[in-house]
Amino acid sequence: MAAGGSRSFSFKVVLLGEGCVGKTSLVLRYCENKFNDKHITTLQASFLTKKLNITGKRVNLAIWDTAGQERFHALGPIYYRDSNGAVLVYDVTDEDSFLKVKNWVKELRKMLGNDICLCIVGNKIDLDKDRHVAVDEAERYAESVGARHYHTSAKLNKGIEELFLDLCKRMMETAQADERLKGGGAGQSVASRRGVQIVDDEPQAAAAGGCCSSG
Amino acid sequence: MSQRTERRGIHVDQSELLCKKGCGYYGNAAWQGLCSKCWREEYQRARQKQIQEDWALAEKLQREEEVAYASSQGPQSQSQSQSQSQPQPLAQSTPPHGHASLAPFSKFEEKKTNEKMRKVTTVKKFFSPSTRMAPKKESQEGKTPSPSISRQTSMETDRVSKDFLEFLKNLQRPGREIHKQCRAFIESMANKKDLGADELSECVQDFYQNLSDRLMSHFKGSSESVERVMDQVEKYIMTRLYKSVFCPETTDDEKKDLATQHRIRALHWVTIEMLCVSMDEEIPEVSDNVVKAITDVIEMDSKRVPRDKLACITQCSKHIFTAIKITKNEPASADDFLPALIYIVLKANPPRLQSNIQYITRFCNPSRLMTGEDGYYFTNLCCAVAFIEKLDGQSLNLSTEEFERYMSGQASPRRPTDDGSWPLEVDGSASSSTTTAAVNPVLAQLHHNLELLSSLNIRQDRLAEAAQGLQAELASWEEGVQREVQDILERYPLEIRPPPESAIDTENAESDRLPPPLTPQVFAG
Ligand SMILES: Nc1nc2c(ncn2[C@@H]2O[C@H](COP(=O)(O)OP(=O)(O)OP(=O)(O)O)[C@@H](O)[C@H]2O)c(=O)[nH]1
Ligand SMILES: [Mg+2]
Repeated sequence: MAAGGSRSFSFKVVLLGEGCVGKTSLVLRYCENKFNDKHITTLQASFLTKKLNITGKRVNLAIWDTAGQERFHALGPIYYRDSNGAVLVYDVTDEDSFLKVKNWVKELRKMLGNDICLCIVGNKIDLDKDRHVAVDEAERYAESVGARHYHTSAKLNKGIEELFLDLCKRMMETAQADERLKGGGAGQSVASRRGVQIVDDEPQAAAAGGCCSSG
Repeated sequence: MSQRTERRGIHVDQSELLCKKGCGYYGNAAWQGLCSKCWREEYQRARQKQIQEDWALAEKLQREEEVAYASSQGPQSQSQSQSQSQPQPLAQSTPPHGHASLAPFSKFEEKKTNEKMRKVTTVKKFFSPSTRMAPKKESQEGKTPSPSISRQTSMETDRVSKDFLEFLKNLQRPGREIHKQCRAFIESMANKKDLGADELSECVQDFYQNLSDRLMSHFKGSSESVERVMDQVEKYIMTRLYKSVFCPETTDDEKKDLATQHRIRALHWVTIEMLCVSMDEEIPEVSDNVVKAITDVIEMDSKRVPRDKLACITQCSKHIFTAIKITKNEPASADDFLPALIYIVLKANPPRLQSNIQYITRFCNPSRLMTGEDGYYFTNLCCAVAFIEKLDGQSLNLSTEEFERYMSGQASPRRPTDDGSWPLEVDGSASSSTTTAAVNPVLAQLHHNLELLSSLNIRQDRLAEAAQGLQAELASWEEGVQREVQDILERYPLEIRPPPESAIDTENAESDRLPPPLTPQVFAG
């Protein structure tokens, strides 16, 4: 949840996508500026944080890697509950991974509605000659579901800073709009305040679709 | 002697694990062999007393504090809390969120609506000092069945309270307000024992929210300072509330604990390979870290403060990361971490896992759970538990039949087929255990354990013999000493003799017995 009123923000961002599309590589590049380095000193790349300063506001970004294997798919809701943003990664050389992203989008919109800022990320653009997902198709799809589309290469460190900076700005807008809606009260709503819980039944589907990229 | 049979009692009968009241649930040594429900019934009164002691302590601390602040403080603060006099706490009619409107810090602007103001006055009545007197009447009737336990816990709460006070003293003026509000909150919670777990959680969360909002404006938005205070507040409040809100009888937490425990036990056959865990336990450093991770996750149950429980999970996760890093030589991603955590949970079968997860979810400071690092590991633990609950053949890359056979114990995944008997040599000698080691590492481990046990048994026997020897020696020594003393006494019988004659020149010498003093004689000549 975005906490701290107008002075500083804390955002939770989940990373979703099929195995091997480069999720881990993306965050390691972003938070530690490392790629495929055998001497990486980082102990783990599953939870990483980044502190940003955006137009004078402090932002604490917590990036949650998720287990991408199919057998863990059902655990998705436990991971992405209460997240402010989701980065959905596919590999531009792998069409299946793009289909996976579409499934994630559907699920996220169904469970979290428009409270969550979605980024669809085509990674490995350094392998453009093997591209299997058309640029305009991906961009058109993103627009149709109220998400933004980005192209990155974790290998060449391309497009990653922009991706996260843009995402932060959008999450700040969403959080501020939220606050205004609540009449400036610093409190979070009772329902959203609840932490992680294990529940078997599906939460009620929120109003799906619509555009969240607040102008 | 009967000690011989007693010594053999290492084996534990299933019935000894069950609640002493025979209700069918498992008992717990910490609850003197009762299950939580019977324990609660049995020791309702002890708890009553505990609460009173807490209150007495709170009052004591309050007095201490009053003294501490007396110099810097005008009389206005006292008048506020003593102005009301309500004879009885209205447990039933207390609004569940009543505490939400706490007396504001004097510095803060009064931005509340009329409705909130109304709440403040009604709530204050419940917090007035007279309500604190109510349970004291019960204390006269209440007997205390387990003084040792209540003393132990009150010692801990005492220490936590002192630490809290110490911490708040550095905060000066707001510290006093914080303490006051926490105290009032704990008192209000004592009247809400009948509420369900979710409502209790709601109360605590509302309190956190309210307090941190106020602190936020006091510290001018420095979230680090607010967090620092809130950590202490959580520690103070939850140490005191722990007993009444952990695994409360209004929930089925305990049932879920048992179900999970059984489930994990039934999955004992799951191997590290099936879960695709990237930890190589052959490497000693890795298996060290695995053991530490298991210990950490088990330890969680022994902590009272949600944050301390979270810290155990974080510790456990760090050990897992180290194990993965050593094995793979690259930082662990979520794909490595989650299966490894699942494996650790299966191996550890942590006590009261569901209760602990629920407790943390209900009573932990929410910001920590939602964006913090601890929250990430906690979420993964929740995922691990969810995975274990739902686990089927497919999630382990097994066919449904295989899975069923393993679950029913007809087959073991360590051997290719399920027919025939175990290649187990019955004599259990050293040579046979080495041959079986090649066939089955579990059997080898079993043999090893058996050997350890029997050697332990032998050592125990030896110890008992030595103890008996020592006892006999002691007895004979005592006899010997007695005999000697007797001998000496006989040899030198006690005679009562007249006191020795006194010296000639003593003052009180009876002159009649003595020869007359020498008188000078003059010899002529
Ligand atoms: N050429 C190229 N390779 C990349 C890029 N990003 C990642 N890779 C490679 O893709 C492979 C998978 O990367 P990971 O970061 O482990 O992928 P992941 O999505 O975290 O995979 P899982 O953890 O299995 O879900 C690695 O061999 C990376 O070196 C990229 O931008 N360009
Ligand atoms: Mg990964």
